[in-house]
Amino acid sequence: MRRLPNPDAAPYHGSRLTPATRTITATTDNTSLRPLRKGLVSFRGYNLTIAFFSVVGVLVSLGMYSIAANKFPFPQSVIDAFPFADWINEGRVWLEANLKTYTRAIAEVVKLPLEWLEETLWTLPWTVVLLFLVIPALAYGGLKLGLLTFAGVMFWGMVDMWYEAMSTLSLMAVSVAFSAILGVMLGIVASQSDRFESFIKPILDTMQTMPAFVYLIPAIFFFGVGATPAAMAIIIYALPPAVRLTNLGIRQVPETMVEAAQSFGSSRLQMLLKVKLPQALPSIMLGVNQCIMMGLGLAVLAVFIGGGGLGEQIWKALTRLKVGWAFEGGISIVFMAIIFDRLSYAISGVAKDQTRQVGAKFRLLPQKWNQNTVAQTIERPVGYLCDLFNTAGEKLTSIITNPLRFVVPGIASVFSNRPLLIPGLLVLIVTYFVATQFKWMSSFPRELEFSIREPIDFAINWLTVNPTFIGITKGIRSIVFLYLLDPLDSFLSGLPWWYVMGLLGLIVWKSTTLKFAIVTTAFLVFLAASGLWEISMFTLAGTTVSVVICMLFGVPLGIIAAYSKPVDAVLRPILDAMQTLPAFVYLIPALFFFGGNKTTAVIATVIYAIPPVIRLTTLGLRQLPNEVNEVAGSFGSGPLQTLFKVKLPMASPSIMLGLNQAVVFALAMQAITPLVAGLGLGKEVYDAMNSADLGKGLTAGIGIVLLTILLDRLTQGWTRKQRKALGL
Amino acid sequence: MKLISTTAAGALALAFAAAGPANAAGVLNSAVNDWTGGAVMCEIVHQIVENEMDFKVKRIVMPSGPGRDEAIKSGDLDYGCELWPSYSVSNTQYVKEFGGDGSIIKLGDSGVVGVSSYYVPRYLVEGDDAPAPDLKTWENMNQYADLFKTLETGDKGRLLGCPAASWQCEDSARMEALGLNYEAVELGSEAAHWAEMQAAYKRKEAFIAYAWEPHWIHAALDLVKVQLPEHSEDKWPATGWATDVTYNYGNPEFVEKNPEIAELITNFELTNEMQAPLILAIDVDGREMDEVVSEWLDNNEDMWKAWLPK
Repeated sequence: MRRLPNPDAAPYHGSRLTPATRTITATTDNTSLRPLRKGLVSFRGYNLTIAFFSVVGVLVSLGMYSIAANKFPFPQSVIDAFPFADWINEGRVWLEANLKTYTRAIAEVVKLPLEWLEETLWTLPWTVVLLFLVIPALAYGGLKLGLLTFAGVMFWGMVDMWYEAMSTLSLMAVSVAFSAILGVMLGIVASQSDRFESFIKPILDTMQTMPAFVYLIPAIFFFGVGATPAAMAIIIYALPPAVRLTNLGIRQVPETMVEAAQSFGSSRLQMLLKVKLPQALPSIMLGVNQCIMMGLGLAVLAVFIGGGGLGEQIWKALTRLKVGWAFEGGISIVFMAIIFDRLSYAISGVAKDQTRQVGAKFRLLPQKWNQNTVAQTIERPVGYLCDLFNTAGEKLTSIITNPLRFVVPGIASVFSNRPLLIPGLLVLIVTYFVATQFKWMSSFPRELEFSIREPIDFAINWLTVNPTFIGITKGIRSIVFLYLLDPLDSFLSGLPWWYVMGLLGLIVWKSTTLKFAIVTTAFLVFLAASGLWEISMFTLAGTTVSVVICMLFGVPLGIIAAYSKPVDAVLRPILDAMQTLPAFVYLIPALFFFGGNKTTAVIATVIYAIPPVIRLTTLGLRQLPNEVNEVAGSFGSGPLQTLFKVKLPMASPSIMLGLNQAVVFALAMQAITPLVAGLGLGKEVYDAMNSADLGKGLTAGIGIVLLTILLDRLTQGWTRKQRKALGL
Repeated sequence: MKLISTTAAGALALAFAAAGPANAAGVLNSAVNDWTGGAVMCEIVHQIVENEMDFKVKRIVMPSGPGRDEAIKSGDLDYGCELWPSYSVSNTQYVKEFGGDGSIIKLGDSGVVGVSSYYVPRYLVEGDDAPAPDLKTWENMNQYADLFKTLETGDKGRLLGCPAASWQCEDSARMEALGLNYEAVELGSEAAHWAEMQAAYKRKEAFIAYAWEPHWIHAALDLVKVQLPEHSEDKWPATGWATDVTYNYGNPEFVEKNPEIAELITNFELTNEMQAPLILAIDVDGREMDEVVSEWLDNNEDMWKAWLPK
């Protein structure tokens, strides 16, 4: 599975690896060392060929630029003859006239539960909501997850965003429920029919890479304004990962297992329900989880159609430049993402072996501290308390389930398998009735409120006026603009369009397949004919510069983190935050520091796209088998030699995957950077949304989709070839 | 999975018990502006409608623009306050008073009168060592263009124009028409626009930027207006902006069904001077909007009672 994220889709995947990385590491582990030397030699040969052709390509292009710069603009007559955006807008008018009744009727189906849930969460005592989230967290994720959930829920109240958090929570719950159900159903169908799979795959690709702002324009027409259209947009936007991972999970069920079931004579339906679906559950849950993360991102952007909730808070804070306030909203979102992420992961049972280790004594502190006496003293009473609760829960459950067993055994076993269910429900009900008696239990007490706005504002302000810091940021900005962005932009947009198309086509052909090269070229012609050639070239230049910076800084950082545990420990939470925090939140500080210009947008893109590079570099190096060190050492190479000659080449597939992710993330960020003076296709989309011009927005959106898919496949192609050269 | 559904069912039952019957006369959807001044105007109306007329008002915050106009037109939103005619692309299309087809109804002036222009920080034009003492009118702008040069704009001065093209400020066209050696840049969002101004102000850097009044930015930064040529429809965009007599508006069906609310909104008026302390209380003192407004209602009963339909 590969993620094609949206920057505000809060891609929380810090703690877990995507399956793609898992496969890589698995194969690396299995490498025996004999073919290693051979692989390294052929790898070097492969890279030398690549380097050679790259140099030739650059020289030829420079020559072409010197002869033909700016002499071949795309013919205006073709652009005039191809009013694609107008056709879309005409189509929209027709759709609006003919479809609106139906789309509104569908929206009603979502509206009802949504409004009811929001109303309910608003009126329920906050203590009940708190326990409703904390009890399952305790039951499934253990004490640590329980505490984390507690902290997150308390945070919403403490920063005075309780009601907003409840709105976002209800929006998420309803839309993710619809999206997950629909997605799993489509995924099951896709897993059963190859034809349906190949039909739906390009649609899913497009849905995932299309900037969300393109969705939001028609959402107003078809679904109205407020939380309902936001939910509809989220349902559509978050669908792809659920479909994809369900399909993948079912298709990956081992053949032997299927054969075994067949020999027992199970029908196709039985096979699906009893064998394949349970086996695919981890993958399906990962899909649902990704669905949640994508949804949360859009929940922030939904403010543009009146979606309300935390997104509205962040937006209001931004328009008033209250960075601290925006951060509070952002952190509230981060907590929601983490709670959803960990809780769905824990409930799915995928993590069972980790969280419920048999005989695990430590519930709060890291397991490996169990030799430390201080840790033991802290942990012992915690353990007793947990055991006490567990036993009490079990007792209570058995008191109720034992008589029930004679009446409805099915229900009784549901309860007795889950010893915390009945006590949990009882606690909820009791809390509810008690809470109605005490004001502090029903509405969040103001005494508990605390604000982190001021320290954040103070820090940001201090940096904004600090001459040294601003000197550095201005230096970075000048270098990036003068030596990278501006030259590359003039170069790419100055080259003749037919030359760029031809060269890209050639590269794509050599890196992937001829078929894909032809499709790519056709789409490039489409972009040019829509009048977006120069804008697309700027986007390409901006993306390239961002990705180059990501690699320049990300790979060394990743290497350092691979060798130094403390660096890794410091880096990890920072990377998590960089990826989970809605990009909205750090755009304004970025602008304070780097100024309002297109370079700032590039820098914001780097912030968003660098984490996967760092992570995957560290991972690639860490996962190498230990023998690599020993073998390299026995040949007498020093640590640096080992790193550059053996380890980095061997880790290169992982690093290339980092590059690939950086490319995809950087293009996804295109949707957000127009808010801070970013130019290019994203800006076109954003402007189109502001003037409700679906045609223009969709055309530019298709441009982003095309570039993403193109660069994604290209980098994937390179990764594959490198792995092949390495003999993996 | 079963557990989730069972727990959920339990909680639902619990919640059903909790949700009391709604006893309002109806629910209205209101378009709330995303800037404080615009939001506070509507909040006054909302509270009167909720307290005196027994309606429940859903406050839907979203950026102004064609999307919101579309929602008003189709009835997804019932009414809104303080619309700035200069920046509305669709009022000539929908509002009768501007030559539109009447699918959005104007409900009286809101009382706030808006002025848009270019502004510079006071430290640029006043004081002994002010670098641009004569930068009070547009005629002198060329003289100081060097002061505003940036990496990206090369030899030209940088003008921070309207943040988005859809506002139709025509800043680039204005620079050209007036023969000014400036490049107008769009920062994409209002937030970015104010952020750039604020950061530059804090560092005492030179900037010239589009802004409007009333706005909180004038409470945060000491800005001076650069005089532009008098507004003229014929010469636009070689002129300044028209004075914006902002108005309230509603969906025709809503107006027809709720004449008394429509009358209240039409009667309701708050001048710039009356709005200013409310904005200050919210943006500078950091108080909650609903609190500030209900306090205002308590203290100005005579005024708002007069707005109620007779």
